Amino acid sequence: MANHLKWADMRPSERKDAVIQFIGQILKWLFVGSMCVFTLYPVIYTLLGSFKTNAELTLGGGILPEQWRFDNYVYAFSKLDFGKYTANSVTLAILTVVFSLITSSMAAYIVARRTFPGKKILTSAYLLSMFVSVGSVALYPLYNMLHALGLTSNMVGLALLLTGGQAANIFMISGFIRNVPKELDEAAYIDGAGTFRIFWTIIIPAIKPILGVVALFAFRTAWNEFVTAQVFTMSNPDLKTLSVAVANLRYSANAAAEWHIMTAGASIALIPILIVYLFANRQFITGLTAGAVKG
Amino acid sequence: MNKPKQSLWKRVKAEKVSYLMLLPNVILFTAFTVYPLLWVLRYMFFDYRGYGEPVFVGLENFARVTRDEVFWTAVKNTFVYVFGKLILTIPFAFLLAFLLQKSTRLNAIAQSVVFTPTIMSQAVMALIFYLLFNTYNGEINRILMRLGIIEQNVNWLGVDNAMFTVIMIALWGGVGNYMVYFIAGLTGISTDVYESAKLDGANGAQTLFKITLPLLAPVMKMILLLALVNSFHDMQSIMVLTEGGPMNATNVMFLYVYQLFFPISAGSTVVQEFGYGAAVSLVAACIVGVFTGIYLILARKLDSITE
Repeated sequence: MANHLKWADMRPSERKDAVIQFIGQILKWLFVGSMCVFTLYPVIYTLLGSFKTNAELTLGGGILPEQWRFDNYVYAFSKLDFGKYTANSVTLAILTVVFSLITSSMAAYIVARRTFPGKKILTSAYLLSMFVSVGSVALYPLYNMLHALGLTSNMVGLALLLTGGQAANIFMISGFIRNVPKELDEAAYIDGAGTFRIFWTIIIPAIKPILGVVALFAFRTAWNEFVTAQVFTMSNPDLKTLSVAVANLRYSANAAAEWHIMTAGASIALIPILIVYLFANRQFITGLTAGAVKG
Repeated sequence: MNKPKQSLWKRVKAEKVSYLMLLPNVILFTAFTVYPLLWVLRYMFFDYRGYGEPVFVGLENFARVTRDEVFWTAVKNTFVYVFGKLILTIPFAFLLAFLLQKSTRLNAIAQSVVFTPTIMSQAVMALIFYLLFNTYNGEINRILMRLGIIEQNVNWLGVDNAMFTVIMIALWGGVGNYMVYFIAGLTGISTDVYESAKLDGANGAQTLFKITLPLLAPVMKMILLLALVNSFHDMQSIMVLTEGGPMNATNVMFLYVYQLFFPISAGSTVVQEFGYGAAVSLVAACIVGVFTGIYLILARKLDSITE
């Protein structure tokens, strides 16, 4: 704060500045505060609504539930298989994070550090893929391919699909690897370390922060993804993830009478990632632009 | 590097560990990025509905696209959606970034709050918005009524309002994301510039319009590009919220493409046609490509004017 001077000691022009700044702060926080309310309202509605009865939700009532009841959660877990969907989401998230980390870090290391025949073609293909997208069509041939390979009966296929080509991640990680001093590689090389040993003992420890970001975003994708998971589980409902199961409540037979179940289901899907976000919000926020800043 | 030229095979053999380490990613890249593209490029010339043999029909699918009213409605809707979303999201995101760029504790908390929608499932939240915007039981109508803003229930998901509702939800989901991009851009501007502006007696508004915005222009261009391309592909929340309805009022290009491949709900009238769907998706991708190209050319023109 610039105005830690006492009001009485100020000259008139300083007083004017202080008043303007004060009003500016009030306007700023009025705006920012209303944006925060706008942002959080649907989330709070969901979380609190999950403890309400259907009548409280549809007929309106206080923000807080009249009585904190856990029946909706009990119903979701016991009658609607939400335990299974949660387990599916956890499995999918873990597999996707592991696949993403392994494949993107190795590829990024080779792209950043080695020269090999075909490198130009490969990096051009990565770059091109970031601008060409045919959208959800891809899901049709991909599902058929995975089905033919027998990868649609468990989560592995879907995790591989969500891992995907990762062109953006590869560019981001290789940008960070280029910032690791090459002398470290060379010293290890002289000590007899091969390409993989250098990757494992020098590069990985040096780029842990950015790998954390990659893991975080892979987790987010796997936990939240709807369209891909929906297509993948159409003919195998046992593999439904939370996102799919919750969104499908919209089409359930008596949707109009189940708002309390919808809010409970949505809360089951939201709470885990909200907890992750509570602890890692800075990493999410700085991670979003990490690639852009490194260019 | 001027090493004596080795034979290709020798150079490949020397880097065999490199190829092994690339292999997992290259397999995924080929299977999940290249293969579907080739699939589309092949089947767009066929009449194929998932059973029987695909029949080669040449350019017939593309001729059909030009006559397909649902598709062109979807194209129009896509542009309304993209512009509506950007016109609301970008100024709000910039304003928030401008106000919250200094790293104080309170600013950081506000940033985290506004960013929250970015980490949540759009599909799950679309279900919640479906409840909130419900005509008779929804909380939005109830609140607006209590505040005296509306006198009777608004049908937010009806033909006339559905696109507006969809855009408001996109604003909710996107503003934090672009705020963070803008903050990254703003912190890239050297503090020296601000110091000297202050010494010269520039006030807040002058600093914003004469210094911040011009210096932010290159970043702004990138953010707009990103926002454009992303918004063209948005469909998840629309799919859950309105299924593109009512009467295609919120059907966007890539949602229509999806419907040509997979049924959304029992009520869907779109018949699954894979060959035609491939053609439509290529046309949609080209529309995005052409529009992005136009944007880049305009952006460059703007540069040469301001310089």
